Amino acid sequence: MSTIQHIRLSELTKQLYDSIQNQFGAESYWISARAMNVKKYISNRRCYLSLEENYNGAKVAEMKAVFWSDYYHEIEKFEHAVQQAFTDGVEIICRVKVRYHAVYGLNLDVVELDIAHTLGALELERKQTLEHISQVSKGLVKEVDGMYVTPNNSLLIPSVIKRIALLTAAASDGERDFKKELHENKHAYSFHVDTYACTIQGDQAPALIKEQFSKIMNSGIKYDVVALVRGGGSLSDFKPFDTFEVAFCVAHYPIPILTGIGHDRNQSICDLMAREFKTPTKVAAWIVERNFEFENRIISLKRDIYDSVSCILNEVRVQLATAKRIVQLSDPETIINKGFAMLMQQGQIITDLDHLHKEIPLDIHVKQGNIITHIKEIQNQYGEED
Amino acid sequence: MEKKISYSEAALNLELLLEQLESGDIELELLPAKIKEAKEWIAICEAILRDTDQAIEDIIT
Repeated sequence: MSTIQHIRLSELTKQLYDSIQNQFGAESYWISARAMNVKKYISNRRCYLSLEENYNGAKVAEMKAVFWSDYYHEIEKFEHAVQQAFTDGVEIICRVKVRYHAVYGLNLDVVELDIAHTLGALELERKQTLEHISQVSKGLVKEVDGMYVTPNNSLLIPSVIKRIALLTAAASDGERDFKKELHENKHAYSFHVDTYACTIQGDQAPALIKEQFSKIMNSGIKYDVVALVRGGGSLSDFKPFDTFEVAFCVAHYPIPILTGIGHDRNQSICDLMAREFKTPTKVAAWIVERNFEFENRIISLKRDIYDSVSCILNEVRVQLATAKRIVQLSDPETIINKGFAMLMQQGQIITDLDHLHKEIPLDIHVKQGNIITHIKEIQNQYGEED
Repeated sequence: MEKKISYSEAALNLELLLEQLESGDIELELLPAKIKEAKEWIAICEAILRDTDQAIEDIIT
């Protein structure tokens, strides 16, 4: 049997518990940290994570933390307000309670999140990104009345859109919604759509999205527009669309980009740099509507041309009708049809008595035919014989 | 190859004849021939008008 004085582990942990409880048990603390190793258990409404602090790239502090079910709603509030998933890498300010357990060790119970801080931090980051884009673009990207004028959203869009490059996540709700709206359009317009799929969430997304933009340019296909869409499903990370890398590429891209990134509350920086339509369905609907407007313009022009031509042709018809009437009135046949007769000798119309030859038969032309007769005597208008 | 008469050419000839008919400058013995010629120009004009009407209809509809 050992002669060294000792205590049981449980006695030590009891002392630790008492000390910690004594020192920290009644208090809660607001701390700033980065959330890492986030594991959410939605069914029992718990979230386990690490809270870390880095300084000059090196980790200087780390503790395990948990959102118990009573406080899980803080995560939901955060995601709803920030429109961003509560996930690894999120910088937060949170209120924690220190808790020690003899078996599970030292933990922090997170009881509140400072959403305003995160929103402010995001807003600041966004402002800096926008300023950076404007600076690097050397006057080509300008803010005008809260909107951004960029080389991309200044590009003219063809009156008829036929060839579309669709940049989205593979087999996503966004792709399905976009294609459904486009291909099932009520006007039966047909479209050529090529999908350029990549991951559009997570740290790798910006580089992958840029790579797809390059592929579109190198395809050799003359696309009318690029549809940049995501959407549907659960709340996801919009961060890639707020990064300088992607937003700068969008701002200077030489094919018009239509965004349907699928969030109604906020505009991503990509939305500001391109033409924004909120959802994939709205992008497709706008394309169909644009083509329909063009068709209507053509129908209207055809109607105008038809009206103008009809007007010209009607004038000509009236002129010809007048000409026919004049000719008819001048036609000797018209006069004969009224009971008058025409005198002819040897096929020549006689208009003067001096032209009559007494010895030649006289042809009296009347409505029903000719009367051939011989001249007995010719008298002038005074009854004198010629 | 026979030169196709244009509408303006036919209309001009018709117009000249109509002016003569309306002014009464035509010798009566020349009248039947002039009337015949005017009717021919009218027929040509009407044929061109019909063809034009049909061609436009084909293009627009």
